[in-house]
Amino acid sequence: MPILLILMLVLGAVGLFLALPGGRADLSRLGLLVLAIGAALLVAGLTQQLAGEPGQALFAGCSLVALLAALRVVTHRKPVYSALYFVLLVVAVSILLVRMQAEFVFGALLIVYAGAILVTYLFVIMLAQQARPAPYDTRSREPLWGCLAGFVLLTQVAAYVYRRPASEQAAVLPRVGGDAILNVATPLLTHYVVGLEIVGVLLLAALVGAIAIARRPAATADEGED
Amino acid sequence: MQDPVVFRVERILRSPWLIFGAGAVLAGALALALWLLFPLYKGLLADPFWFPILVMAIMLNLILSSTAICILAERKIAGFTQDRFGPNRVGFWGLLQPLADGLKFLLKEDIIPTQVDKPLFLLAPAMALIISLSGFAVIPWAGEVRWPWAPDTLVSTQVASLDIGVLYVLAVASLGVYGVVLAGYASNNKYAFYGGVRAAAQMISYELPLGLGLLCLLLTSGSLRLEEVVRQQAQSGMWYVFLHPLPFLLILVSSFAEANRVPFDLAEAEQELVGGFHTEYSSMKFALFFLAEYAHMITGSAVLVALFCGGWAPLPFSSWLADSTAWWALLIKLGAYLAKVAVCIGLFMLVRWTIPRFRFDQLMRIAWLSLVPVGIALVAGTATLTVLGLQRTWWACLGLNLVALLGMLWTAARSGRTVTGRQDDLPDIHVEPA
Amino acid sequence: MKEEDVLVLQEPRLTAAERLYLPQILDGMGTTLRHMFDLGRRQETVCQYPEDTREGRGELRLATYRGVHRLNKDPDGRVACVACFMCSTACPAHCIHIEAGESPWPDREKYPVKFEIDELRCIYCGMCEEACPVDAIKLTPNYELVGRTRAELIFDKAKLLQVFEETKAVKPRKNPAVTDYGLTGGQPRAVAQPNVERKV
Repeated sequence: MPILLILMLVLGAVGLFLALPGGRADLSRLGLLVLAIGAALLVAGLTQQLAGEPGQALFAGCSLVALLAALRVVTHRKPVYSALYFVLLVVAVSILLVRMQAEFVFGALLIVYAGAILVTYLFVIMLAQQARPAPYDTRSREPLWGCLAGFVLLTQVAAYVYRRPASEQAAVLPRVGGDAILNVATPLLTHYVVGLEIVGVLLLAALVGAIAIARRPAATADEGED
Repeated sequence: MQDPVVFRVERILRSPWLIFGAGAVLAGALALALWLLFPLYKGLLADPFWFPILVMAIMLNLILSSTAICILAERKIAGFTQDRFGPNRVGFWGLLQPLADGLKFLLKEDIIPTQVDKPLFLLAPAMALIISLSGFAVIPWAGEVRWPWAPDTLVSTQVASLDIGVLYVLAVASLGVYGVVLAGYASNNKYAFYGGVRAAAQMISYELPLGLGLLCLLLTSGSLRLEEVVRQQAQSGMWYVFLHPLPFLLILVSSFAEANRVPFDLAEAEQELVGGFHTEYSSMKFALFFLAEYAHMITGSAVLVALFCGGWAPLPFSSWLADSTAWWALLIKLGAYLAKVAVCIGLFMLVRWTIPRFRFDQLMRIAWLSLVPVGIALVAGTATLTVLGLQRTWWACLGLNLVALLGMLWTAARSGRTVTGRQDDLPDIHVEPA
Repeated sequence: MKEEDVLVLQEPRLTAAERLYLPQILDGMGTTLRHMFDLGRRQETVCQYPEDTREGRGELRLATYRGVHRLNKDPDGRVACVACFMCSTACPAHCIHIEAGESPWPDREKYPVKFEIDELRCIYCGMCEEACPVDAIKLTPNYELVGRTRAELIFDKAKLLQVFEETKAVKPRKNPAVTDYGLTGGQPRAVAQPNVERKV
């Protein structure tokens, strides 16, 4: 593993730790500075690596946007902005998925995450918005352990990718012929049908459970409103 | 004390000669330019990479300018249904009104209130417009064409031919709520906020019947590609609206709700929310919301036409032009598509000036207690037909729809409840004479 | 309140088709469509103002038009208003400003020293004339209200009385019907006959 990659990861981890809300303001600014240096290194590395391949610019751009958005999700102090950065992250990742011919996952990710879950989050965050930011929004709970765990995970992934033989690294994904939906649906309903059904039953159980939790007894229904 | 110059200018502006003359001159100039420049763009037209980009450029501009015409049409229809004339002062028959409106929007003071969340406040109108325009990418405007000077290449008038076409439309539609919600949140105004919250709840609710209606259609077509759905209809001549009238209705109602149009425009309810999510917006930002609403309407209509009304197929119950790739067929197909979209938009507008707005609980009841059960029943029925291999036989589909309709009628008659949820056993109303 | 004064209404029971709501929507759309293509009705109803005036169209709904206000004069030529403030109380737009003074005439207690209406704030709802017990304030059919400044369109007592002079020919003052005061201004009460139209 080159020293540059390690340096980038360390910079990212340290910068993120400093930038996470909870510390003092000047420290978080320092963290952003460190992160910016890391990002600059990353950009430099990427441009060097992908100089000959113009098609990879989209990949590089979307990955950078996704990384940046992910950082802001955890570091931003306003929950609404965090949710919106998450939307940006989802959109950037879904563009990467289209690039990898995973059109179905692209559609599903957009519909499920950006279209439904995050709208609901936004809805809840907006309704729960108070006059001043709540303490759990302005302080992160375990910045040190969180950053450490992320750093270890990323290092492992990077090491794994780096160790693979060069031929495999450079390999472009094989173009799968046929309809993207058919390619997803056929194995799902033949080979993996048991798993699919189990997941379906699980979701149904969760749905019933959610209704059971949400439905308060009639007697206490009106005192809960405040 | 009348100013004669003003009147003279007005008379010139209102003469039909001005607008039709200018239109003829412009059209002539355009045609001349196209003819003179033909050798330049001849290669691009037959290029499978550049042609969709040209289509995109042309259609995007067409749609953006037709939103302006839509606004004029809306005001005209509003006038006509209310026994008025509508705008008829600017230009002949009011035809220059869009120009005047645009000028007004551009020149008005752009106010940003001090207490708003500025980045989101600025982002919201842009987001609304971008998302409502991005749905056009998968519309198959006029099928495929083979130019006479390049008989070997078949180019498609669709910008992006995605395997997941319909899913993409759903994805974009589900993102459409962000503009409204952000505008409502960022405005720091409780009315705007209520508008945003209502829009979010409404869009999430109406995505269900939309999805269920689409599911019926997809079970029938067996493909999510819009161009494939259109080709099936064009070849058989059996548009899916004839096979699946009730799913069509489901999607129609849901697209009214998704486009935030009357009777589902609770997010902007002027009477209660003084404009709702766009209360704080002025000038061009407000205009962007307006544009987004109309663009959304056009997208919705275009998708609806592609899925149910045969897309570019010019005639129902006939496979005329279905396999033709001639350049003149392209023009006919495009004309047919745009005409259908125009009819659909006319329907949107007619409904707007006919039906009063629903109350919020009625809106929710329609979605969850009326449309969703019907949708589930229809999906189950269509799935059964698909297993039996009958999904494209007209009598089986129509029978299913008839059964569903009778079921709805029966439920309505038995439950004593309207679709909007009003109880029949209301207490007597006591009236005291004055 | 007596028992027989109470009307009990039962809401009509809806048919299944009405509960389904769709046929009703189609019905409504039929109505709007009918109006859309009814060109004759449109031309009959709409008066395209600068080229076309209500007077030129045979007093098109002019009798019931609510335009600029006036202050009526009684038969003796005095202002009919008794400064009771009913109109300014009833006004939803708060556009009427009255200052009352002791009346110089023996037949009433007060009269308006100042009477101003902000014609720009007014919403022309006509509630002032409904409220007036002596039929002193009236909305005239005069719809051409133009000014170059805001101040010009705050009509004072003199201006309002002048409007009366201009419009009394088209819309004469009626007897006040609400009180048995009859015509205010010096006439014996026996003479007063409510609801009888009389030229001033």
